[in-house]
Amino acid sequence: MSPARKPRNAPLSLRATWDLRWPERQLLLWCLLCMLLGFLMLLVAGYAEGRAFHPLDSLPVVIYAVSLVLMHLTLVAARFQGDQILLSSLAFLMGFGMLAQYRMGSLDAADLTDPGLYLFPAGVLLMLAICVALMRGRYERLAGGLWIWAGASLALVAGLLILGERYRGAVYGAGLVTPTELLKVMVVLFLASFIARHAKRLGNWGKGLPKPPVRDLMPLAGFWLALTGLLLVQRDLGMFIILSLTMLLMLVAGTGRRAYLVLGALAATGLGYLVLALFAHGQNRIKAWLSPFQDPTGNSWQILQGLSGMYSGGLWGEGFGQGNPEYTPIAQSDFIYAVIGEELGFVGCSLLVVFFLVFFSRGLGIADQTRSPFGRLLCVGLTSVLATQTFLNLGGVTKFIPLTGITLPFISHGGSSLITGFISLGLMLAVSEGVPPKPRARPTAAGTKRPKPDAPPSPASSRRGRGRRSKARPTEEPEETSR
Amino acid sequence: MVRLALHVAFFLAVFYLLKQLFELRAFARLRHLAKPKGGFRVPILLVTLLFLGLLVHQATWQLTGVFRPEFVSFMQLHDRRAFNPVHWIRRGRILDRRGEVLAYSEEIQGQVYRLYPDGPVFAPVVGYSHPRFGSAGMEAVATAHLNGAAAGSLTSWGELGRQLVTQDKRSRGQDLVLTLDAELQRLAVERLDGRPGALVLLHPSDGAVRVLASVPSYDPNRIDSALFEGLDPAAPLLNRATQGLYPPGSTFKIALAALALERGFTGRLDCPADGFTTSAGYRKIRDHEYYSARNSGRVWGGHGPLDLTTALAKSSNVFFAQLGVRYGHDAFYAMADQLHLDRRILLHQSPYGNLALHTGKLRRIARSDRYGLAQMSIGQGRLLVTPAYMALVAAAVANQGLAMRPRLIAQEPPEPLGRFMSAASAGRLAPMLRKVVTAGTARGIDDPALSIAGKTGTAQNPRGAPHSWFVGFAPAERPQLAVAVLVEQGGYGSAVAAPIARDLLLQAQASGLIH
Repeated sequence: MSPARKPRNAPLSLRATWDLRWPERQLLLWCLLCMLLGFLMLLVAGYAEGRAFHPLDSLPVVIYAVSLVLMHLTLVAARFQGDQILLSSLAFLMGFGMLAQYRMGSLDAADLTDPGLYLFPAGVLLMLAICVALMRGRYERLAGGLWIWAGASLALVAGLLILGERYRGAVYGAGLVTPTELLKVMVVLFLASFIARHAKRLGNWGKGLPKPPVRDLMPLAGFWLALTGLLLVQRDLGMFIILSLTMLLMLVAGTGRRAYLVLGALAATGLGYLVLALFAHGQNRIKAWLSPFQDPTGNSWQILQGLSGMYSGGLWGEGFGQGNPEYTPIAQSDFIYAVIGEELGFVGCSLLVVFFLVFFSRGLGIADQTRSPFGRLLCVGLTSVLATQTFLNLGGVTKFIPLTGITLPFISHGGSSLITGFISLGLMLAVSEGVPPKPRARPTAAGTKRPKPDAPPSPASSRRGRGRRSKARPTEEPEETSR
Repeated sequence: MVRLALHVAFFLAVFYLLKQLFELRAFARLRHLAKPKGGFRVPILLVTLLFLGLLVHQATWQLTGVFRPEFVSFMQLHDRRAFNPVHWIRRGRILDRRGEVLAYSEEIQGQVYRLYPDGPVFAPVVGYSHPRFGSAGMEAVATAHLNGAAAGSLTSWGELGRQLVTQDKRSRGQDLVLTLDAELQRLAVERLDGRPGALVLLHPSDGAVRVLASVPSYDPNRIDSALFEGLDPAAPLLNRATQGLYPPGSTFKIALAALALERGFTGRLDCPADGFTTSAGYRKIRDHEYYSARNSGRVWGGHGPLDLTTALAKSSNVFFAQLGVRYGHDAFYAMADQLHLDRRILLHQSPYGNLALHTGKLRRIARSDRYGLAQMSIGQGRLLVTPAYMALVAAAVANQGLAMRPRLIAQEPPEPLGRFMSAASAGRLAPMLRKVVTAGTARGIDDPALSIAGKTGTAQNPRGAPHSWFVGFAPAERPQLAVAVLVEQGGYGSAVAAPIARDLLLQAQASGLIH
C-alpha cells in the first residue's frame, strides 16, 4: 500500500486507518493506566476503612476499558481519519469523571441496575453513532434544518416550563433530568447554520462609522430574545450566559467582525444590571462572592466548605478517597472540582485544567482547519459552550467569579450534561473528519467506498484550498505507518 | 506507604500522558484537512490566560490561604476535616497587662489543647476556644491575630515554601496582650466570694479595662454541651458585667445630679419626713432614714431643705424624686440619651465575634406618668443598667465629663466615646461624690490612704433582698481608676459593695495602678 499516491481526504483502507490511528491507541492505553492507578488509590483507601473486597468493585474500570476499546475499534472500522488528540483528552476527562463519580458514590458498582454505571458507555456509544453517521461531510446536512433547530430549542424550553417541576429554584423535567442541557447543542446548530448562511450580510457593518446590520440581525435577535425570556423565567442564568457568549463568539468567528464583541459587552452590562435587579438569588450570589465572610454559615457555606477542602488538600492533596468531600454540599455535581482539589491537591487541579485546555485548543484547531463555514462555526460554538461552562464552574468553585451553579463537563454528576457533552464531541469529531472530495474533481484511486452521490457540495473555498496544497505532501507518513 | 506510592504513580502517569499528548501531536496532525492558518491562536492564548488566572486565584486560597485570616477562622470553626492543617496551628497566648498568661495552647499526645490557668476567673473576657463549640470572648474577637494569620507573622517566604511542600502548617500564632490586671481580677472574684455579681474597674482617661469580673462563671477548660443548654439557674454564660441588667438604685442619682448641674441648679428642695408623691393615689417615696426610724420605733423629723451636695451624701430619695419630676420627662430622656443609656457599645469588633457592652434598658413612659418619672429618678422603676455602664458613668465624671470607649486589647489606641456632661458639671460633681465617702452613706469605707469618691446604691428588686451597689473613682482629686461593684441581693450598698470597691482600689494603689 502506498499512501503517497492516494489523493488527500480520500477514504482509507482498514489497514491504513489502523496504522493512522496509532497515536490514539497509545494515548488511550495511557489513559487506561492512569485511571487504573486512580482506581487502585480509591480501592486501597476503601480497604483502609475496612471495606471488604467485592469482585464487582472492578466494574467501573472494566466499563471504562471496554468503552475505550469500543471507541477505538469503531473509529478504525469506520475508517475514521479525524482527530485523535481531542478524543484522547476526552478519554482522560471521562475517566477522571468516572473516578470522581465512583469516589463520590454516584456510581454504585454493587448495584448492576444503577443507571449511573452505564451513563458513560452510553455517552460513548451515542458519540460514536453521531460521529459515524455524520462524518464524511454528512454533517453539512444539519445546516438545512436551520429553523427546525430554532423551533425545537424554543419548544424545549417552553415545554419544560409548562411540564417541568421546580427544585432548588430551577426547573427540571421528570426525575430531575435537565433537558435544557440539549439546548447547548441545538442552539449552536441553529446559530452555525444561520450565521454560515448569512455571513456576508452579518459582516457588513457599512463604511465609515461602523453600524451593525440591524435588519439582518433581526431574526437572530428575535430568537435570542425569546430564548432569553424563557431561560430567565426558569432562572437558568448559567445557560443564558453560556448561550449568549457563544452566540457572540460565533458571530465574531463567522463574520470576522470584532465589533460584535463591543456590542456584546454593552448588552452584557445593561442586562447584568437588569438581571441582578430582578433576581434575588443572583444578588445573594454576588454578595457571597464579594464578601463571603459576611454570612459564612448561610449564604457562603457551600463555597467556603469547598475552599476549606481545597485548602486541606494543599499542593499534593490528601489522596484519592481519603478526603471528606461529604462536608461540602452537592459536592458530586457542581463542586466536584473542590473534591479534586481536596484529594489530588493543586497539582491534580492544574493537570485537569491542562487537559481541558488541550481539549479546547484542539477544538479551535479543528475549526481553524475546517473550510466549511458551517463546520467551522459548529466547532467554534461547541468549544465555546464547553469552555464557558468549564470556566463558569471552576471560577465559581474557586470564588474567581460568582457562583452560577452549573456542572463541570464530563466530570460532574449529571446525566443530561454528560450526554450533551458526548453529543458535542461526536459532532466535533465528525467535523474533524472533513468533507470528502467530489468524485468529479478528483478521481479516487484506492477508495473502497465511493462517496455518496448525495453528499453536499463542499464550499468553493475548501476546494481551492485543497487544490493549492495537494503538492505539499506530508513526508512523515511512511515513517508513521511503519510503527 | 502503598497509598503514597499510588499517589505518586498516578501523578507520574498523568504527567507522562500529558508529555505523550504533546509529543504525539505531530503524528496526529489532521493532514487530510486544510493547512492550519493559525487564525485561532489569539483566542487559544486568551482562554489559556483566563484559566491560568483562575489557577493563580485558586492558589491564593488553596496554597496561601493562611494569609486570609477570616478564612482560617472559618475553617477552625466550621471545617470538620481532621487533616485540615489549620487545626494544627498553635494559637498565640493571651496575656494580661503584666504578661501573666491567661490562655495558652499546648500539644499533648499529638493533639493541640487550649488551656486556661485561672479557669473561670477570666472567662467573661477571654472566653473559650473549643474545636467543637467554637469560640467566644477575646478568643473569638482576636482569632485572626491569635492564629498568626495576619500577613508578616510567617517568619519568611522560605518558611512558607517549606510549609507548602511538606504540608506542615503548624505555625505559631501571635500573643495578645489585654489591658486586664490579673492580680486585681483574681482579687475581685475572691472578694465577690461566690455571690452572683460583677465588678468593673477601668481607667477613666484612656478607657483601659483593668478588671471585668462576673460571678458565677464557667471553666473554659471544661466546656460541654450542658453549659449551652441554659438549664443552670446561675446562668454562668451570662456576663453580668456587660450584659446583666439591674436597677441602679441610688447610684443613678449621679446622673440626676449631673442633670441638675447642667441645668444650673443651685437652690434647696424641702425633704419632709413624710416623703413625696406626685398624686394622692400613689405610695409616697420616702428616705431610708424614715424606714430605719420606724423599724426601731422612733420618729424621724425629716431632712428639711437640702442642697444638692447634702442630698447626694445622704442619698435622699425625696430630693431626687422631686428633682426628676421638676425637670420633666423630656429633660430626663435627653439626659439618658446623652449618657448613652439604652445602647449597645461595641468594644471590639471582628467578623468572628464582637465584644459589646449593653448600657441598660430604659422604657419610654407616658408623659402623664409623673410617678414613674419620680421612680426612675431614684434609679427604680422602668430603668435597668449594667455594672460596666455604671463604671463608665463614674469614669466620665472622673474624666471631666468625657467618656472614653472601654478597651480590652492593650495595643488598641484610646478613643473617646462621647461627652456625658460638661467639664464644669463634672468638676463640681466629683467633690460631691467625695463627700459621700467622707460624710455620707459610704463613710464606712473612708480610708486615710486613698481619697475615694463614689455613690452607694441599694436597689429594690422583685426577686427579694436589694442589690448592693457601689460606683465611684479614686483618687477624688486626680482620678486614675473608676469602679463599679454589684452584688446581687447583697443588701445595703454601703455594707457589701462599698468595702469590696475599697479593697480593690487599695490593692490597685499598692500594685502601682494608682500613684
